[in-house]
Amino acid sequence: MDALSFIIHRAKSYNRGRKLVEKLRGIIPRQMFEIPIQSVIGNKVIARETVSAMRKDVLSKCYGGDISRKRKLLEKQKVGKKRMKQVGNVEVPQDAFMAVLKIDD
Amino acid sequence: MHFKIKQERVCTRMPSLYIHVPFCIQKCDYCAFYSHSLVDSPEDLISVYLEGLEVEMTKRQKDAPQGVSSLFIGGGTPTALKAVELERLMKMIHRCFPMNEGAEKTVEGNPGTLTDEKLTILRRYGINRFSLGVQAFDDSLLSAVGRIHTARQAREAIGRLRSAGFDNLNLDLMFGLPGQDMILWQATLEEALSYSPEHLSLYGLMLEEDTPLYERCAQVTNNQTENALQLDLLPDDDLQADMHEWAVERLKQEGYRQYETSNFARPGYDCRHNLGYWRGADYLGLGPGAVSCLNKVRWKNVEDVRVYENCLQSGQSPIDEAGEEVLTLRERMAERMILGLRLEEGVDFILFRNDFGEDLRDIYRDVLEHYKDKDVFVADNDYLRLNPKYSFIANSILRDFV
Repeated sequence: MDALSFIIHRAKSYNRGRKLVEKLRGIIPRQMFEIPIQSVIGNKVIARETVSAMRKDVLSKCYGGDISRKRKLLEKQKVGKKRMKQVGNVEVPQDAFMAVLKIDD
Repeated sequence: MHFKIKQERVCTRMPSLYIHVPFCIQKCDYCAFYSHSLVDSPEDLISVYLEGLEVEMTKRQKDAPQGVSSLFIGGGTPTALKAVELERLMKMIHRCFPMNEGAEKTVEGNPGTLTDEKLTILRRYGINRFSLGVQAFDDSLLSAVGRIHTARQAREAIGRLRSAGFDNLNLDLMFGLPGQDMILWQATLEEALSYSPEHLSLYGLMLEEDTPLYERCAQVTNNQTENALQLDLLPDDDLQADMHEWAVERLKQEGYRQYETSNFARPGYDCRHNLGYWRGADYLGLGPGAVSCLNKVRWKNVEDVRVYENCLQSGQSPIDEAGEEVLTLRERMAERMILGLRLEEGVDFILFRNDFGEDLRDIYRDVLEHYKDKDVFVADNDYLRLNPKYSFIANSILRDFV
């Protein structure tokens, strides 16, 4: 992903790559499918983490008195999701891009 | 096995009838529904409620000139009313909304509040379905969420209901309770199955804002992110998903069909009243806090017993204006999709076109295209269904329809 690319000395690449994938794993929310996160130099994967697939995202109850409220909740959540950047099939929050800049913090 | 069930046409001439009884002995820690704890309420509050309800019922008869299709008395805890109060309630319903003997008529109730006298009254007035709030057969799990009954009382209530002649019984169960692991969940469901209920509703615990359980979790985690509320206090999402998955398979083995995300029934025992909601039928809700939806308008009564009664006695509307909405075409279509895809039967293409004037495959072309190669939807000539394996993450997909 170009937006999360950076130039770094080879000696520091592994540590930085590992830190970044670990940080992104904590920032990128779980989604419908498993998301592999890899640090790559050229074609070589130097670090990898996985965001496991979401298991629960459901309304337990939706009866006559709930319908409007639940519809509006889904509408609000949809607006929230639109703020995320879509990279392929993955929704990436803005925090992820800040993470690249702050990785030494 | 593939089930093909004919959907009933939405009929606005016979809405379903919901009566809200906003009283509990004591509210549970997780409950966000509108109700009063009787332990803290003035003695006359139920009487005030019934006075107001009688006026509302009389006024609202005109909204169902051909009668109502089903009855559901919910709450709160309807069976928290005394026998004489329950009889008064049943008499006014019977007078204002007489129903066919075959129509489904449900009352909700909790263990510890049932007496033979109350059940006899309900049976006398034609109640033919009972929904019992069991939640768990474990006293420590029950007390962890503020339930005031015991497992013994739940068992006793089931016996009492069967003795009273209720042969259409639903048990409400909850998973994801504080301190509940898979073993405890399995024990609850296995015991529930031993009573051969005709219907089971299984609900994953949800933390609703402004409830004591939510506040307790927030204090412990110092108001961190929403996910943090669940850390170390509640079974996490993966465990809840495992609980749900296991239950779906177990109930299938026992002959229950998951006809809605949280609802399971033996053949012929789907809850017709609730199916009305999910298929987009009109409904009339009476009582403080009750919601109605007639002719594309949805409204809610005020959530205050005395204000509700005062309004009615003085000839004013008890509707909470903030809760009134005229549903747009887009909103009605969205609701049809988000509710219909929770059903095993799915959304009927022809009914959708008849009701909204357009083919849902045109309206939601982009959404269907997006999920085309992901095995999310199952469609034949008649219905669009959600692949059952996604039912526990359905919101991720349903959001695309609003």
